[in-house]
Amino acid sequence: MKLAYYPGCSLKGTSFEYEVSLLKILEIMGIEVKEIPDWNCCGASAAHSINHNLAVALPARNLAIAEKDGFESILAPCAACSNRLKNADYELKRDDILKKKITNSLEMSYDSEMSINNMLEFLIGVVGKDKIKSMVKKPLAGLKVASYYGCLLVRPPKVMQFDDPENPVTMDELVSLTGAEPVDYSYKTECCGAINSLSKPDVVMALTGKVLYDAKNHGADVVVVACPLCHSNLDVRQKEIERKYEEKIGLPVLFITELLGLSFGINPKDLAIDGHMVAADRVLKKIEELSK
Amino acid sequence: MKTVLNEQNRRNFVAQVESMLHDKLSKCYQCGKCSAGCPVNFEMDYTPNQIIKMTELGMEDTVLNSKTIWLCVSCNTCSTRCPKGFEVTGIMDVLREIAERKGITSKTEKEVQMFHEVFLENVKSHGRIFELELVGKYKLKTKHLFRDMFLAPKMLEKGKLKMHGETISNLNQIAKIFKDFE
Repeated sequence: MKLAYYPGCSLKGTSFEYEVSLLKILEIMGIEVKEIPDWNCCGASAAHSINHNLAVALPARNLAIAEKDGFESILAPCAACSNRLKNADYELKRDDILKKKITNSLEMSYDSEMSINNMLEFLIGVVGKDKIKSMVKKPLAGLKVASYYGCLLVRPPKVMQFDDPENPVTMDELVSLTGAEPVDYSYKTECCGAINSLSKPDVVMALTGKVLYDAKNHGADVVVVACPLCHSNLDVRQKEIERKYEEKIGLPVLFITELLGLSFGINPKDLAIDGHMVAADRVLKKIEELSK
Repeated sequence: MKTVLNEQNRRNFVAQVESMLHDKLSKCYQCGKCSAGCPVNFEMDYTPNQIIKMTELGMEDTVLNSKTIWLCVSCNTCSTRCPKGFEVTGIMDVLREIAERKGITSKTEKEVQMFHEVFLENVKSHGRIFELELVGKYKLKTKHLFRDMFLAPKMLEKGKLKMHGETISNLNQIAKIFKDFE
């Protein structure tokens, strides 16, 4: 099966670590993905917030190109991108009039037979747990990992059709495969504030702070995510949150692909772990100590 | 608060919202589950269930000028938990879009609104987001030039801020999408 890859804008910019690490682990597992040619921005939260038709038309172009190129399945590692692609696919299925307008505008057809996968869906459903388990060369036993899902991977459930919207477990299962211990905590699907990071920083810090402090209070050594927006809020804003609430957090935030890569024995540099704002040195050291 | 409303205007507004929403406002029986679980309820002037009821009552000006519609982060917790399966998150999108079309600028939350507008302009120009340009233009527009600037040096050092954006080849197609749907 030909697998299309839709990186989205964040993975080419502020969240380059996500792209570096996911391409590295796919390469090591021998899984080939091909970038959708000339892909465009999905419109993210901005489009659906103020223009519904644009929010369907922008992702629809990517879906139509992928279909024209003979792909049946898309990997969209950014949670916002996969959410918008799935939403567009859903709208195109339910609204024939809008679909006609959009396919006319694009001068391309779209059959809605595309399988759209977020990173977790792809790892569990396309790659498979057995394959991942067989790749683990350096088990992370003893490391406590809080999986943070946020909103866009699981909600709205009728469109995402993925995991449980209130208590998802897929990322925790992947954490278990690495030998690490999943941390049970309360905020794994609470919103981080997402797109309002620049426009409402105080609100975003209040929301993100709750996630980080709760994960820390439940003994997490590290938080893992599968969304560049979540990563930015939890990682880039963390120092500021510590200052605001006058309490140290010091919790490194890794992409799930980086955690898997570490358990595969890949050098942290090749996973771009040094690209994060909160240094992961302490976690890397703990992994080294645990593996002795 | 103005509560006596023109019935025809009320019907027109409800019909417009419902057709954009693909859902019926009367589904909501005001249990308040949406508002209880909303992560940003502490900042709102009206709770989500109040917005639904006020829309149904035709209080167009109040809902279109509310802080709530711009504070909603579309996390979909409300829609997921709604016992009636009502599109609570969807109504926020619909009301924002109507406000935007009517040229209503939010008095208190204009930064949120501007961010969305600047974001889409960026997509229109390049087909993809060029983050540095997006942030720069947003800052110029809102005049918050120095907010968050302390993050920039470390982000640069870490390689998070790219100096050049990518522009797609078929920008004409993006222009056409915007022409047809904007």
